[in-house]
Amino acid sequence: MNELKEKAKELLQNGTVKVIIGFAQGTIPNRTKPFIVRSVEDAEKLVFNKYCVNNLAMYLTRKEFKRNGVVGIVAKGCDVKAIVQLIQENQVKKDDVYIIGMNCSGVVSELGEEFNESTVATKCLHCMVHTPHLHHTLLGSLEETPKREDKNFVLMQKIDSMTAEERFDFWEAEFERCVKCYACRQACPMCYCEKCIADKSIPRWIESSAHTRGNFAWNMIRAFHLAGRCVGCNECERACPAEIPLSLLNRKMGMTANKEFDYIPGMNLNTPTLVGTYDVNDREDFIK
Amino acid sequence: MEEKLISKVNLKMLVADLIKANHIVVGQDEKAVGWKRLSHTDEIVVNSNGVPSNLSYKEFLFAKTEPIFYFRNNKDNYDLIEPANVAASPNLDEQKIVILGAKPCDAPSIEIMSHVFNWDYKDKFFNEKAERSIVIGLACHYQDEFCFCTSVGLNPTSEAGSDLFLVPLDDKNFAIKIVSDKGKEFVQPFIQYMSEGNPKATSEVLDKIKLQERKFEQAKVREWIAPNFEHKIFDKVGETCLGCGQCAFACPVCHCFDIVDEECNYTCGRRMKNWDACQFGLFTIHGSGHNPRDTQGKRYRQRIAHKFKYYQDKFGKTLCTGCGRCSRGCPVGIDIAQVVREINLVANQV
Repeated sequence: MNELKEKAKELLQNGTVKVIIGFAQGTIPNRTKPFIVRSVEDAEKLVFNKYCVNNLAMYLTRKEFKRNGVVGIVAKGCDVKAIVQLIQENQVKKDDVYIIGMNCSGVVSELGEEFNESTVATKCLHCMVHTPHLHHTLLGSLEETPKREDKNFVLMQKIDSMTAEERFDFWEAEFERCVKCYACRQACPMCYCEKCIADKSIPRWIESSAHTRGNFAWNMIRAFHLAGRCVGCNECERACPAEIPLSLLNRKMGMTANKEFDYIPGMNLNTPTLVGTYDVNDREDFIK
Repeated sequence: MEEKLISKVNLKMLVADLIKANHIVVGQDEKAVGWKRLSHTDEIVVNSNGVPSNLSYKEFLFAKTEPIFYFRNNKDNYDLIEPANVAASPNLDEQKIVILGAKPCDAPSIEIMSHVFNWDYKDKFFNEKAERSIVIGLACHYQDEFCFCTSVGLNPTSEAGSDLFLVPLDDKNFAIKIVSDKGKEFVQPFIQYMSEGNPKATSEVLDKIKLQERKFEQAKVREWIAPNFEHKIFDKVGETCLGCGQCAFACPVCHCFDIVDEECNYTCGRRMKNWDACQFGLFTIHGSGHNPRDTQGKRYRQRIAHKFKYYQDKFGKTLCTGCGRCSRGCPVGIDIAQVVREINLVANQV
């Protein structure tokens, strides 16, 4: 881990960046936490391992960090996907971010657990960016990613085969636990609206009540807003205290975007965004 | 205090009787996500070794969303309609809300919240449920790095807030201590399920529970906050804090709510009381657009100050039970005990 600390110190000392967003050790061994480095002493506390789960890209759109000029960020491949998408959506300037890319062969799914083949995160099973596809410097080495059955996908197929009524019942039961803490939104790098539609109260579009209607309204609108934009970091699902399987929604939307438009968010800086593009050749057969 | 012995089988019978009599029996769910109303004895989880669930049982006393009243347009006026759960219902008083297996970091929550709900205004929604609640506490054998009950004046064997208190003696039996008068009255119909207690065996079990070392002095935090209101420590935490409400909504004693009107159908509206949290920017924003707590650091300071100072100043109680839910569940690993300990260190330096 020394190369990360040294690189961070070098960047701070030569003035490339004033601040680096990285990870530090958490309360227990198998846990890390986001950590803001402003000095060489801080840089000593940086860590990177299998327990660096957070997608730190969500901090890039915060006003406090935008004020700092070029911001350094410790990023895994999946975090870089978010950074690329943010640049494409004009939320972050390409020249305002210095990416310390980390080779990553997988992270743990649930913080606190030991990393092994049964606890490797679902997103890592199909990862295409173990080596970050955009970076200013690249650190770390790759090992083999543990393999396990993708239970999430099995469940997706099961939901696909349900009738509309069964699907409604499934989601009604899942959403019932929602407490409207909005941790899903807050942890999401793509949820950067200055004022979220759920916070608009004059008039109120999304009921703040955590009952069936309010919970459906919130979770559906969030899923729609992420269609073709979600990079699949799965931070929303991890942050959810009620353990609602939000990845099922986001993954389904992502797969649909890929199938219909051959588009994967966050992969290529030069591809226009899916929802920000109009093409006269776009299919219109869904308008009836 | 009276003490009895109850076997696991008989505890099941007791719960079965309660469910059959349509009482609301609330227990932790199997996955330790939250608490639910039990519909069958197979769902009982009374685990002294288990981690506290992500969410507490507070929603059974202080609902995450509930109607205050309904209103219907009636020519030039509005008709107000009381919600069914508060309208006089002869049977409601008899329907107990039985919290089964509340650890010492969960059991005091009703008593702690009752102060704020009965201070200048008597909150009938909370009170009505608190009055018919029975808390069956459970001695705790669980301890991890996030727990800190001993730092807030509780411990794994404390009976505070419990009406009855279970102590697991062996694989098959619990000691059941009858702590309050409410508890005594409640167990009367079930006394046939219990046998003579053995207080000596119980204290042997309780004595073996190792108490965690205290992580901080809460009195010190209380003194320190006011003169150090603008201290950078809060901004430092605020920098990585996401501003989600996980901590407040998981907390067994956080009690803030918002009041909003919504429609129920074309002819009827309702005024709702919904959970809210001081970590949201929207919580304090004024109609003018000004927000006195405009940064996450200020919001986090409010969280600490409310828990360890304001609630103490006003009610003489700490608004924290040390369950560690907020720290265990925090998506960015903010550990409240560590933050308060850091405040202790800073306070000691001066």
